[in-house]
This record gives sequence, C-alpha cells and structure tokens, in this order.
Amino acid sequence: MIRLRSLQKKFGARLAVEDLTLTVPAGEVFGLLGHNGAGKSTAIGMMLGQVWPTSGEVEICGHDVTRQRARALHKVGAIFETPAFYDYLSGWRNLEILSHYTAPTSPQRIREVVDWVGLSGREQSKVKTYSHGMRARLALAQALLPQPELLILDEPGSGLDPEGIAEMRQTIARLHREMGLTILLSSHLLTEVEQLCTRIAVLNQGRKVFEGQVNEVRAERSRVVLRTPDFAAATSLLRDKGLISGATEGRFILLREGISTAEVTRALVGAGMEVEGIWQHEQTLEDFYLSLVKAATVNGTTH
Amino acid sequence: MFLAQLKNELWKLFGKKRTYIGFGAFILAQTAMLLAFKYTRWQSDFERLLGSNGYLASEFISALTVAVVMLMPQIILLMPLYTSLVGGDLVAKEYEDGTLRMILARPISRSRLLLVKWIAGVIFAAVLVVALGFIALGFARVLFPWKGMFFFAPGMAFSVLPAGEGLARFMLAHVFLAVNASVILSVAFMFSCFNMKPAAATILALSYMSVNVVLEGIPFFDRYEHWFITHHFRCWLYVFQNPIPWAQILQSEIVLIAACATAFVIGCTAFQVRDIKS
Repeated sequence: MIRLRSLQKKFGARLAVEDLTLTVPAGEVFGLLGHNGAGKSTAIGMMLGQVWPTSGEVEICGHDVTRQRARALHKVGAIFETPAFYDYLSGWRNLEILSHYTAPTSPQRIREVVDWVGLSGREQSKVKTYSHGMRARLALAQALLPQPELLILDEPGSGLDPEGIAEMRQTIARLHREMGLTILLSSHLLTEVEQLCTRIAVLNQGRKVFEGQVNEVRAERSRVVLRTPDFAAATSLLRDKGLISGATEGRFILLREGISTAEVTRALVGAGMEVEGIWQHEQTLEDFYLSLVKAATVNGTTH
Repeated sequence: MFLAQLKNELWKLFGKKRTYIGFGAFILAQTAMLLAFKYTRWQSDFERLLGSNGYLASEFISALTVAVVMLMPQIILLMPLYTSLVGGDLVAKEYEDGTLRMILARPISRSRLLLVKWIAGVIFAAVLVVALGFIALGFARVLFPWKGMFFFAPGMAFSVLPAGEGLARFMLAHVFLAVNASVILSVAFMFSCFNMKPAAATILALSYMSVNVVLEGIPFFDRYEHWFITHHFRCWLYVFQNPIPWAQILQSEIVLIAACATAFVIGCTAFQVRDIKS
C-alpha cells in the first residue's frame, strides 16, 4: 500500500529525512514513531505529494506520488495534527468542500459518514462552535468521505484530552476492524502506537533506526529479572544447563526458547541456590523507543 | 466537478466576513462623498466648470454625472485596496490557517486548485466592481435627477452624453473596470502563491501598483507609459469619450489580460515547486 525507496528530503542544508525505505502492506496498522522534528511529518508530506522529495521514490496504492499524484491519492484519507477547517462555515459545508477535491460526493454519503463519526445533529453548526473532540470527528469524517483504502494519521491525538485520545484510539481500532483499512499512524504517544499498531518504524533525526513487529519487539526485548544472592554463580549454572542465552546488568537473564521461569527456579533450587524472586520484565515500547533513540544519538555522536 | 469546486471556492470566499469589507467601505465612502458633493462647494465648482464650457448645469448635474465623479477617487483608492486584500488571501491565508494542507492531501492538482481559486477571485473582483457601480448610481439617483451626462477627467477631453447612452457607457465602463480589478487581484494572487503572509502579499501588490502610478506620473517616463500597467487602467474612462477610441482600448485590454495570465503563470510556477508543510 505504501512503498518508500531511499527517500531523502533536504531543506537547505538540513537533512530532514535520510535514506528512508519503508513498506506498509495492505491491511496493516503501521506506526511511525519519533520525537518532534524526527522527520515523520516530512515523510508523510512526501507520501501525500505536499513535500517534494530531494531523491528517492514514493509509491502509494501502486502509483508514484510524484508523477501520478491524482491516482495515488484517490483512495487515501488523511488527518493532521491540528485539523484545520473553514471555521465560519458549517461542518456539513466543510465536508462538501473538502470531498469535492477528490470526487463528486453525494449528500447521502456525507450523511452516512456524519452518522458514523457521531456528529449527527451538529453538522449544520458552524465549525467555530465545535469542541476539540468534535473537530477531531469532523477531521475523521473528511478523511473517510472518499471511501479510502489507506488512512494516514499524523499525530491524530494531539490536542485531545485523555478521554478524547481514548475515543480516537477506539475509533482507529474500529476503522481497521470494520472497514479493513490500511492505517499509517504517526505519533509520539508511544502507548497509542503500542496498543494500535501491528508494526512500527522508529525515526530519529530523519533516519529510520528500527522497523519491525510490535510483538517481535516485545518478545525480543523481554527479559527475566532474577533476584538471587549470587547472580554470577546462578547464571553460570543456568548457562551450563542450557537454560539461558545470556545475562545482563547483574539482574536480567535471557531465557532460551521454550524455557519457562518455573524451570529456571527448579534448576536453581535443586542446586541449592536461593531464589529471592524471578519474574518477566516486559520492556515497554517507550523504554524500547528511548533506548533506540539513545543508541542512535550515541552512534551519531561517535561517528 | 470543476464547477462544483468553483462553487465551493465561492462559498469559502463569500462566507468570510472580511470579503465584505470592501462593499461596506464603498457604501460609507459613497455616502460621505455624495453628501460632500451636495452640501459643499464641490457642486458649485462643478457647475462653474459646466458653465465655462457652455453647458447648463441644471441639465447635466445628474445622477450619471455625479456617479462617475464619485467613482473616480474610489477606483483609484479603494478598489485596489480591497481587491488586493482578497487576492492576497486566496492562497496565503489558506496556507496560514492550515486548510491548504487539508486540501492538498486530496488528489486535486496544484494547478487546478489555483485555477479554481483564481477564477473565484476574478468573480469576486467583477462582483465588487458591479456593486460599486450600482451603489454609485443608486446613491446618486437618490439626490440627483435622471438627465444627460457630463464627463470630465484630468488629461482627457470632456464629453456630454444623453441619459440613455450615458447609462450604456457607464455599464460598459464597468466591464473594463472589472478587468482592472482582476489585474490587481491577479498580482496579489501571484504574491500569495509564494511563501509569505497574506498581508505581505497584499502590501506587495499595492506597492507594485503604487510604483506604477508614481513612475507613470514622472514626465521622464512619458515615453515608457505603455510599460506601466496602471496606464492601461484608463480604458474605463476612454469609454466616455466621443468617439470611443476602440483601438486604444483593445490594445490596453490585451496588455491587461496578458498581465493577468502572466501573474497567474508566475504564481502557479512558484506554488508548484513549494513544499507545503504545517
């Protein structure tokens, strides 16, 4: 659905996106993570043909965005960090205006979408009277009007209160579930990405520092905390018995595939060692993200 | 589809309160000038001008004569201001508000978007000019009778016209005024397509017009007057001449239409290569 090849964007001397290669298959909820200024919005801008790439290729729905923008974006909906509307016009009129930039849209279709996003009864009010949450719904409505196959969401939770964020999260999940949309979600709200996405890419200073499945990330990065009076002796024993693949930081052990914490406990107690505690340490995506950014910064500094 | 998009642009344009500032300003200026003409020495001076040319003031101080007298300063001062205000907003304001990014997330091409916006702007310019004419004539008719027309403009020969022909010429003059307004709007629109604030686009357009007026007024530049866009704006006044200098009007209109097209193409090119970011 989305294919970026060696994408690069320079603003003057500043490199905003560097050699970004990314593939988002149809039906996936893909997370684009990164702090402010990491290059997420620039990458999205290039996907939508709003920002011209310095080099590289962007393909959306099988069409090159630079050369065949109209075809590429025909089945794409997008929501931005701060959805902007014609505040002096009604929500309905805004939907009419925006949808006509894609294709003629019937009032029935607008009605359907207004009902779906829960704006019924307020669609004829001027947008300046809308709350943040209602504006977010209107943004969603305009994105859904062209019956998109791909939805690009650039920081959709920005500016919303916790209740609004939770509602937005549920809506995104519903969109994926009910409509089977491919969703690209850019966010710095890590919990949001963790809960919604199947795969993620992490950007830092315009460079992709990670791409993989969220589950993989969790599995790969999950470690077991072992609390015992003699950690070195315990890990030596566990290695000899082939139960662990490694030990770090004087408290974490990495279990071999298929080995449970109960087996480790049995082995240690059986050898007469005291076990004060043993539990799974599941690293959050946030920890993971921060460790990646830290690693990327260190590498960048050392290089 | 194109018409639907144009209709939407007009909704956007005419839905904004600031679009109507010009109309309001015309009404106020018209009222003030009309009262000044009626109740100050302005009218008696004008009557003397008519008398010195052998015409009876009572026959030619009419709604049509006064309407044109009222129009002249407004065409020079207010029309450029309000057309460039709207022209400067057309693209730059949408960029500033963030709505341009919403639009350009959709498959419409940039050139088509600009074309629709520009046409909407030209329609606004035409509506503004027509409103100006109606207001001028309507207000003048309230205080002055419907009689023959006396026309006098600096640097031009005066002319007298019967009421019917005067009205026809008055209406024709507005066609050329609409072209003038479209040129000013197009210049502001062109600047608006660059990466700048709406106010900057408006000010640049007004500055461009002012520089034209100033240079055109310097005797040294007399031989280059055809190079100044404002020189060609005088077409609407030629309409009241006897006979109407059609060749001169045609030449000037071609220059003005070419100026509109050039401004549009420059704006379009600048907009095409721009990165649209939040």
